[in-house]
Amino acid sequence: MLIWFLPVFLVLILIGLPVVFALLAAPFGLLVMDDQSRQLSVLYRNLYNGMDSFPLMALPFFMLAGEIMNRGGITIRLVEFSQAIMGHLRGGLAQVNILSSILFAGLSGSAVADTSALGSTLIPAMEKNGYTRRFAAAITAASSVIGPIIPPSGIMIIYAYVMGESVAALFLAGIVPGILVGVGLMVMVRVMADRYDLPKAERIVVRGQTISTTEYWVSLILVRINLAGLFYAVAAAIPGNPGGWAVYLAMLVPAHFLLMYWRRQVSHDFRIVCKKAVAPLQTPIIILGGILIGVMTPTEASAVAVAYALVVSFAVLRSMTVKDLYQVLARSALSTSAVLLLVGAAVAFKTVVSLSHAPQILTDIILGLSENPLILLFLINILLFIVGMFLDAGPAIIILGPILGPIFVELGVHPVHFAIIMSVNLTVGLATPPMGLVLFVASTVSRERVETIARAILPFLAVEVLVIFLITYVPPISMTVPYLTDFIRCPPDTGFMACISPAPQ
Amino acid sequence: MPVLLTLLWPLERLNTGLLAVGRVIAVLALAIMVCLILGQIFWRYVLNDAPNWTEEAARFGMLWLVGLMAPLAYRQGGFVAIDIVERALPRIVAALLSLVLLGISLWVLLIAWDKGLNNHVDSLSGRGCSSSLRWPFGIEIGKCKAKFANQYQYAALWVGINLLILVNVELILRQVITVLGGGDRLKSLHHDAMAGAD
Repeated sequence: MLIWFLPVFLVLILIGLPVVFALLAAPFGLLVMDDQSRQLSVLYRNLYNGMDSFPLMALPFFMLAGEIMNRGGITIRLVEFSQAIMGHLRGGLAQVNILSSILFAGLSGSAVADTSALGSTLIPAMEKNGYTRRFAAAITAASSVIGPIIPPSGIMIIYAYVMGESVAALFLAGIVPGILVGVGLMVMVRVMADRYDLPKAERIVVRGQTISTTEYWVSLILVRINLAGLFYAVAAAIPGNPGGWAVYLAMLVPAHFLLMYWRRQVSHDFRIVCKKAVAPLQTPIIILGGILIGVMTPTEASAVAVAYALVVSFAVLRSMTVKDLYQVLARSALSTSAVLLLVGAAVAFKTVVSLSHAPQILTDIILGLSENPLILLFLINILLFIVGMFLDAGPAIIILGPILGPIFVELGVHPVHFAIIMSVNLTVGLATPPMGLVLFVASTVSRERVETIARAILPFLAVEVLVIFLITYVPPISMTVPYLTDFIRCPPDTGFMACISPAPQ
Repeated sequence: MPVLLTLLWPLERLNTGLLAVGRVIAVLALAIMVCLILGQIFWRYVLNDAPNWTEEAARFGMLWLVGLMAPLAYRQGGFVAIDIVERALPRIVAALLSLVLLGISLWVLLIAWDKGLNNHVDSLSGRGCSSSLRWPFGIEIGKCKAKFANQYQYAALWVGINLLILVNVELILRQVITVLGGGDRLKSLHHDAMAGAD
């Protein structure tokens, strides 16, 4: 009887019941009909326990940090920085759009925020530069899906929590796939640039750049600290290196002289543009650095990211007021509350998934289709892509994770690998019609019709689908970074491939 | 129609007032959560003394944030739903379907209300005391004395369910008015665009 909760649930969400209520209504109804009303209180408790979690707290904090940074005027800094790096290439502003999305992904972790912030800056600029509006909107929407793939990522925090995985492992596993999507889009833009004669941009648009004294000194110090840290990490690989603070302080000297040498090689405007991007781009370094070194949990790193964003916005960039802060807090609290309630409902739903033996039944059905994991992975990618066309990534992950995760783990797919396949696939779904959230946002920002953007985005979607299959069939793409940083636990003496692609159970 | 509008008026104002207060508390809760976690890091690395209550206090804040803010998100249309069927249907059928969906939501909320009160807030564990959260300044309240009662934390979701029920009833009234052709006399509830985790 209880197995009927799944079809009932699907019917409820298809007719338009909010997902959070559908997650509860289907099990509630069947438990009442199945004379198991006592289990209702268990479901309620799981709804509560699902939200009462310390790791989950990273979600509101990362959303808050992204909101503060976004309000603090970092978008224009990132765009100018990207333009300084890639603007001179053929199809320059389209390339700038993609690079800005990659950089923005390290701050916000939200495709919607990315489309809205970068779109409002870059789409008019691209139009002015000779691009069609539909092309500008399409590349903005396509590149914004990198946001939830590169850490920090809201959907990965949710997946890790609901499925009991390590947030840090998922964050690290998302880095290379995110960059790969970006590089793939850049290659496609380059190909299209030749075919459609896309315009070339200037390396720096705004000349006569200025920087405040505080920001100048903050950037100067941060760049040296980071470069010295990089040298220190390289030096640590040399046998016999004692390490410690003395070595790190010594590394500051070559870092300083290298930067002084580089200073003479570039123009004043280029240097200032780069300096102005340093403070915002420090955020992902703080988050990943804190987690990788092991001094902070992802939740603590997210709180530090909030504090850093506040310091940068109030003291360095001076682009925020107390009134802005209240609005930013209210917006973050509002978005967070809906998501957290959804996560709580998903945990309650997961209880019924286990009680109903749905995964076992579905495993039998899926294995009946084929026993070849490669074919099954292909089919599951198709399914995820279709689901992503109708449902946002967060709810889709919450619903499908507990059902599909155990099946593929049993087939020998590493849980972290499967999480990345799901995350990337469903995130790409954000840019697919008919219900692609970022398509709607891109349409609002560009004032171009959704259907027109949906047609223009097809070549970019093709690239993203190719990346999804690469990630699926070449596990080292996503799994190497978490493996090397020791965030994937494997028994001792397990080889690399055996660790990241375990044998079927 | 005038009867429905008369019924809606006080409920609309009640919800607006309650949710405005909830919004201020939730904003404070979020700010305090950030401070508590930053304090936890400071105590651990600078004072070398990790307190055991900061984490629980921050979770306390997060639960109340959800309880007080989720009803506002629901009122403003921030709960994710697939509205493709609704948009494809004729206007009046879509409005009736929407009414049915609001009815299902209300049924879910009423079950949650009952279970939340009788099997969670007013349960053995609900009447128990927190292991780490204590009142400051030597304050002692009720059976748990200096410790927080678990009920204070459990009540967050139950209060949220109460507010969601109020919002749901308001939305039902608005939908009935819309079905009867008075939709143009209603004020829009959609304000802030929400990105969710995507």
